[in-house]
Amino acid sequence: MWCLSGLFGSRVGPALYPLLRVVSKGNQQYPPLRALQASAVLRRASDEHKKEPLASSSQQHFDSPPAGHQPEQKPQGPHPSYTGQGGQESEDYESEEQLQHRILTAALEFVPEHGWTAEAIAEGAKTLGLSVAAAGMFRSDGSELILHFVSECNSKLSELLQKEQKLVQLGEAEKKPIDEFLRDAVEARLRMLIPYIEKWPQALSILLLPRNIPSSLNLLTSMIDDIWHYAGDQSTDFNWYTRRAVLTGIYNTTELVMMQDSSPGFEDTWRFLGNRVADAMAMSSTASQVQSTGEAVVQGLMGAAVTIKNLAGLNQRR
Amino acid sequence: MAAAAGPAVRCSLWQRRSLRCGPGPRPVPGGGAPLRLCSTQAVPQAGINKPVIDRIIRVDHAGEFGANRIYAGQMAVLGRSSVGPVIQQMWNQEKDHLKKFNELMVAYRVRPTVLLPFWNVAGFVLGAGSALLGKKGAMACTVAVEESISEHYNNQIRTLIEEDPEKYKELLQVIKQFRDEEQEHHDIGLEHDAEATPAYSVLKTAIQLGCKAAIFLSERI
Repeated sequence: MWCLSGLFGSRVGPALYPLLRVVSKGNQQYPPLRALQASAVLRRASDEHKKEPLASSSQQHFDSPPAGHQPEQKPQGPHPSYTGQGGQESEDYESEEQLQHRILTAALEFVPEHGWTAEAIAEGAKTLGLSVAAAGMFRSDGSELILHFVSECNSKLSELLQKEQKLVQLGEAEKKPIDEFLRDAVEARLRMLIPYIEKWPQALSILLLPRNIPSSLNLLTSMIDDIWHYAGDQSTDFNWYTRRAVLTGIYNTTELVMMQDSSPGFEDTWRFLGNRVADAMAMSSTASQVQSTGEAVVQGLMGAAVTIKNLAGLNQRR
Repeated sequence: MAAAAGPAVRCSLWQRRSLRCGPGPRPVPGGGAPLRLCSTQAVPQAGINKPVIDRIIRVDHAGEFGANRIYAGQMAVLGRSSVGPVIQQMWNQEKDHLKKFNELMVAYRVRPTVLLPFWNVAGFVLGAGSALLGKKGAMACTVAVEESISEHYNNQIRTLIEEDPEKYKELLQVIKQFRDEEQEHHDIGLEHDAEATPAYSVLKTAIQLGCKAAIFLSERI
């Protein structure tokens, strides 16, 4: 069964749904069966209408990965027919996206043991009462699991920053100075990696695979944009890019330091982060100092030129 | 506190609010203006067609920025001539437009185009270059640019109306008002003998091609 799913890959994954149910090791045959039938019915219904009705829920959790999933699954062959089972539909059916989301979330707890692999996904599927072949829905290198995790962490960070902002607006908390805000936000985000820190280097290398780069870059840039937005950035010129580039650099280097940090409570990492943020602040004040010095020098030169012209008698009106 | 909770989007678009709350300016990583530590009323991102609105606001912001620089270039050459006051008045209106789009850009969380430094230089060079051709040359440049911009705003109004006129009512109002003002500038240019410029049609076509390219690039990059 396992090699079968590997053979067919994720293209035919959903078509194997009936097989999954039949060979499911759990005793809960009927609810998952209904959910499957309903999801297949939904899929057929959604194919008839152009728009995916639950796309908005998937948008919140995945930025680009669903876009990668949808074209892959739409041009499939004939759908499996369920008329044999009486065509039941339950009230609380879920879409394919939601099912995948649930499987991946369940799989996360097996990552420290199995790594970011199809085994972890299979274990996760088992806890939901599905067959291990459910892992065939996903790519074998665990990319979707990692992207799902990153997307979840970004959402959590977003909620956290929003809550903090509300507290500040209601006057219940002090506004943080900008360097402290950035430091705290990056630290909060990196702390979410701690339970998975052993296997995170593997995840980073998978995220850098060429086919995953668009999605991972998208997730990274939207996270950095979120942090700056809640920090109060309102730039509408090239600074928009400079600030985000600087923060991305800080985040990436701190993440790498964290990978090989063995100090208690990662204190070396947080100290490194603090130093980088301080560097960035110093860099910007240096930049403005350089600019004002430059302007002063130019003014001085202009003054010298005018003086020389006067002395040489070139400025006289005859 | 000015940034009270509640749907105050209209306020942020139409009123001038001083958002300086919290201690004074402080250095910021990456440089630039000090941060305002409380946020403007952001437009809720849920119901809107983000890619379309992103493009519209990005390209309009780039356009107003470029127009600002064009008039700056023209003033640098013709500031002390007889058309100086006319150009100055049009420039002031463009400054207002740019300010409005800066606010919209923050409210909708749109990124500016990467090409801003390039439009900075190119706009000034175009303005100064056309002004060096004389007053009529400067007016011809104004006519060409404003005609491009009016057509472009009209396209955007059509797009927004096709999407959902109710949802984008404020944005539509802003763009309609700006389109009318750009049309005024176009007419002012014609009044000041733009068409009498030597090689008027060549100049006009070249400038409008450049505007089309700028619009295409700014929407995407």
